[in-house]
Amino acid sequence: MRLNLVLTLGVLGSAIYLVHVQYESRRLYVELEKAGAQARKLEVTHESLQAEKRAQATPLRVEKIAKDTLQMRTVTPAITHYVTLKEAAKP
Amino acid sequence: MSRSVRYGASPLLASPTPVWRSKFIVAAIALGFAVLAGRAAYVQVLGNEFYQRQGEVRFARTLELPASRGRIMDRHGLVLAYNVPAPSIWAIPEDVNATPAQLAQLARLMEVPLPELQKKLADEDKTFVWLKRQVSEPVARQIAEMGIKGIYERKGYKRQYPDGEAAAHVVGFANVENLGQEGVELAFEKQLAGRAGSRRVIKDRLGRVVEDVREQVPPVDGQDLQLSIDSKVQFFAYQKLRDAVIEHKAAAGSVVVLDAQSGEVLALANYPSYTPDKRMNLSGAQLRNRALTDTFEPGSTMKPFAVALAMDKGLARSDSMIQTAPGRLTIGGSTISDAHPQGLLSVSQVIQKSSNVGTVKLAMQLQPKEMWEGYAQAGFGQKPNIAFPGVVSGRLRPHKTWRPIEQATMSYGYGLSASLFQLTHAYTVFARDGDLVPVSLLKTSEPVVGVRVFQDKNAIAMRQMLHLVTRPGGTAQKAQTIGYSVGGKTGTTHKQEGKGYSAKKYRGFFVGLAPIENPRIVVGVMIDEPSNGRYYGGDVAAPVFAETVQQTLRMMGVPPDMAVKPQIVTNPVAESF
Repeated sequence: MRLNLVLTLGVLGSAIYLVHVQYESRRLYVELEKAGAQARKLEVTHESLQAEKRAQATPLRVEKIAKDTLQMRTVTPAITHYVTLKEAAKP
Repeated sequence: MSRSVRYGASPLLASPTPVWRSKFIVAAIALGFAVLAGRAAYVQVLGNEFYQRQGEVRFARTLELPASRGRIMDRHGLVLAYNVPAPSIWAIPEDVNATPAQLAQLARLMEVPLPELQKKLADEDKTFVWLKRQVSEPVARQIAEMGIKGIYERKGYKRQYPDGEAAAHVVGFANVENLGQEGVELAFEKQLAGRAGSRRVIKDRLGRVVEDVREQVPPVDGQDLQLSIDSKVQFFAYQKLRDAVIEHKAAAGSVVVLDAQSGEVLALANYPSYTPDKRMNLSGAQLRNRALTDTFEPGSTMKPFAVALAMDKGLARSDSMIQTAPGRLTIGGSTISDAHPQGLLSVSQVIQKSSNVGTVKLAMQLQPKEMWEGYAQAGFGQKPNIAFPGVVSGRLRPHKTWRPIEQATMSYGYGLSASLFQLTHAYTVFARDGDLVPVSLLKTSEPVVGVRVFQDKNAIAMRQMLHLVTRPGGTAQKAQTIGYSVGGKTGTTHKQEGKGYSAKKYRGFFVGLAPIENPRIVVGVMIDEPSNGRYYGGDVAAPVFAETVQQTLRMMGVPPDMAVKPQIVTNPVAESF
């Protein structure tokens, strides 16, 4: 009789624990999802920031700024001093 | 005493209830349990599948995991096309209850005319209507903050092209659905697209994902593509071309830059072009990738091939003399003439002065079959082996149908057609000591093997002749550039109109290579219908060639092979007062 009682309590206990574990697992899963979504969002942000950086450095923009704002001119061999790298020159 | 249930010995507890009633109750309860057990068995065992499915329908959802489209990069890893988040705004018209002020603000945010927005929302029978596809993220956030009922956003991405119109014809563009429509975006759609994945999940009543039902199918992202294009060369070539087209009031122009050693396409630009991010009111003229899709008669730029073939068959050497006087030659009743009649010319001078008569005299010694084979091997009449939409093969008729006059005109580039790309590609034969290298639009690191067309000594000799063209006495002195030796051939042709040639419409072009001793690049430039007085290839196309060569070689780190008068002051001495 007592054994039955113990077993009944055991079953009840494990049943309640099961419900708790299920709840806990779902809660953690939601957390994981949230973190995953945030990671994706950060990734996208990272990519768009990189893209923005790239958009700021297009040849078109660089050329325009160099010419208009910085008064630079295009290089020609006439105003280039060529040096040969010593290692490269060795046979 | 009647039969009844006794609950105790006390007569007070004696009940008159008949026994059958209690038995009936017991039986009814037992039956109830039996029904429950039966039902349980049915739900758990027999009907299990059905209930599982019904449960899933109510809570399980399939989520699509979108694959991101691969990026397109240039040879140095600079991005030419990438994805940015661009949500689309949609609405259920019936549910929208915005005030007029809110609607006006919404229209302003989405840059949609207010009447158009009102019209979209007026149709209450519809349950879904796009208000605006692909808005920017901040705009989407502002719209969400307005909190209008019945207006939703859907996540999405759109392509951005930082290099804009300079690289438009190479890169192309993808549409709202992220499908490639033009250029590399279309040609490499399969690699770029990727495959969407999916996952089956259970959502709770708040819409949160709480469990995965099955193993998820991960999305396969599109591959990044690395093109052979150098975005700096591309930009520069485009800029110079655009300036030339505008200066000469031309209809259009194209430029192609090939790496002579690897066969890679370093730049390919056309003008007029378009901005791939803003594709409103695009015209066919803007979209056309002329360098690859427009064919024309190559004119004088074919002469080096005819002459090199004659040299290859042992019919002439670069110093053989040919009489071109009196500057006219009659074949089969038709007369071929030189624009500037010359006298006795060496083969080198025939190329340098671009003599039709001299070229024809050499070419007529060839069999039509030999000439056809030489041209075909150099890629004429053959579709360039390049994965690109709309690539054309040009026209080179079978040699059996050639009449003698046709063979003659073909030696100086009339009666056959090619695209600028084909022509430029064919010139790699001279840049590479006689073999034709396969072209590639993707960056390659493996060494390439060419197909031999001419003997190396003849290709080298031809290179020297092409160099002479750009020297004093040649037709393209404007192709010269500081520091680097160049060689090439000009072409000026009347444009075809209907069945004949237009008297006033020209096409000027120049195809050349540099540096002469060890060519690194081959550049082709074509200016269509220059109408500002000058129209010769040597006047309109050669300067673009010169500037493109100059910048390209510098960016490739090729040291100058010609003496340059330096304008640098290395050790400035302090001026004395």
